Amino acid sequence: MGERCPFIKIYGKPELQSSSLIVGWDEDAGRLGTKVTDCLNKKLGCDEFGEIEPAGFFPIDGVLVEDDIAQFPESKFYCCNKENLVFFKSTPPRAEWYKFLNSVLDVAEHYCHVRELYTIGAMITSRPHTIPRELLAMVNSSKMKKMLSQYNIATDTEYETPHGQRPTLSSLLLWVAKRRNIPGVGLWVPIPFYLASTEDPQAWRRAIGFFDERFNLGIDFRDIDEEVIRQNKKLTELANQFPEFNEYVRRLEWNLSLTENESEKLTETTEEFLKKRD
Amino acid sequence: MAVRLYKEPKLEDPVLIAGWPGIGNIGIIAVDTLRGAVKAEEFGEIEPWDFFYPKKVLIEDGELKDLEFPINKFYFRKTEKKDLIFFIGEEQPAGIGRAYAEGIKAYQMANLILDVALKFGCRRVYTSGAAVAPIHHTVKPRVWAVPNSGDLVDELRSYENIVLMSDIEERGGQGNITGLNGLLLGVAKKRGLEAICVMGEIPIYFQGFPFPYPKASKSVLDVLTAILGISIEMERFTAIVERNEREIERLYEKFPSEIKEQLDKLRYVTYTKPTEPGPITEEDKVRILEDIDRFFKKEPKED
Repeated sequence: MGERCPFIKIYGKPELQSSSLIVGWDEDAGRLGTKVTDCLNKKLGCDEFGEIEPAGFFPIDGVLVEDDIAQFPESKFYCCNKENLVFFKSTPPRAEWYKFLNSVLDVAEHYCHVRELYTIGAMITSRPHTIPRELLAMVNSSKMKKMLSQYNIATDTEYETPHGQRPTLSSLLLWVAKRRNIPGVGLWVPIPFYLASTEDPQAWRRAIGFFDERFNLGIDFRDIDEEVIRQNKKLTELANQFPEFNEYVRRLEWNLSLTENESEKLTETTEEFLKKRD
Repeated sequence: MAVRLYKEPKLEDPVLIAGWPGIGNIGIIAVDTLRGAVKAEEFGEIEPWDFFYPKKVLIEDGELKDLEFPINKFYFRKTEKKDLIFFIGEEQPAGIGRAYAEGIKAYQMANLILDVALKFGCRRVYTSGAAVAPIHHTVKPRVWAVPNSGDLVDELRSYENIVLMSDIEERGGQGNITGLNGLLLGVAKKRGLEAICVMGEIPIYFQGFPFPYPKASKSVLDVLTAILGISIEMERFTAIVERNEREIERLYEKFPSEIKEQLDKLRYVTYTKPTEPGPITEEDKVRILEDIDRFFKKEPKED
């Protein structure tokens, strides 16, 4: 395949049969996609075995600098032979989406004999951080919906892309997988809007918790739980210093909406405080 | 990457008329209005997923039911005068970070469209877009026409309200047409088809506004129907144009007075070569156009 598709580089030899593919995207709200795939990779001792070259899928006319650091798109495959899992972590492509996503599934099927797909992503919500994170699922086959019924996941979502917005890349991947008869699930963790551009360890915990249960991974959650406690402490400190923060959060808990100005203020205050304290 | 045809109509020497969104949506409104007026029937499409990102997902009871892509469809209609094929594209296949079609994808799409045109014996293609010009919105927009062969120039000059590039001062017949409107002309030339792009004028100060400019689409429609020798019912479309003109006038009234003062000078200038003496001197005209140019720091352009 690498010879026929010069943009696919395979440098490892995964030994997997009937495996499951887990896909996470960088640039996800609350750093969910990156964190979940990185965390599982690390804890399961996965090996990088291939990548998709960026030319043609990303603008290659320089680099983007974010938080002082030059960024460059990466699209990499990892495998965990012991748990029969494949991971794909990538910057979302900027062009040739259909070709890119088919290439992901080509590698997954050809080298890893993937039989099912999971995508992980965050969705922005007005629910505050004090409410436990939910996990929502969107499936591309009724078989997957039946499988999910044994987990504590909302599987009855009704959704149509609002005017002016576009479907997510995960939705497109699920559609491409459906065309190839690969059953798949899009997992979504709602993240409070004011944590979207920082981090949300509670969301990571929720998503990783599902994979732990689904694949019986025996994940040690101590470090993630510590992250959750640390951030909760910071947010409590923020509430003590800024009574407005408390008021806004309470209103969100009561399902009362904030004005645009109030939402912006809550986001700015939270981001500034969390970044300053990191 | 494929074309799907649902049926194969028997057409006699048809012409292809193609439209896409662009500045003021002038081209697509004109082409789609004509398509609707002649009641053209859908007969095929270009599979969109190789060209476009989807525009809508539908999830019912947690299950992905449908993913909708921008449409790229073919329609046909046999009329007494001419058999017509329409191609309507909801988006242009743009390169990374670009608004208009360019690069290999655009070239592939242009070729797929012409594959269909040639399959049905088409020898001539029309595309339509906008020409950004230093005109006032109260003026009737003219239609800039660019053929892909010198043989078509005399024919184009025989129609009313048409401007060729050589008619525009300081252009010397030069210019460029961005996006598929231009690309299709070039690819048609390469494949031996005649092609003409007709572009309705939009005032320079409305080019960045996110609303349509049907007044220019009407000028394009007038030209297209004259060229094709067909007449269509225009009452409803004229009503739309008039309503839009009232909305634009209301918007214009909200412009700061210093801006309006500058823009109102455009009522009295023409940037094309004069055929008869106008109400102002050539000196005045040069000064006004320079003022407007400084104001917008932009040159006239086409899409």
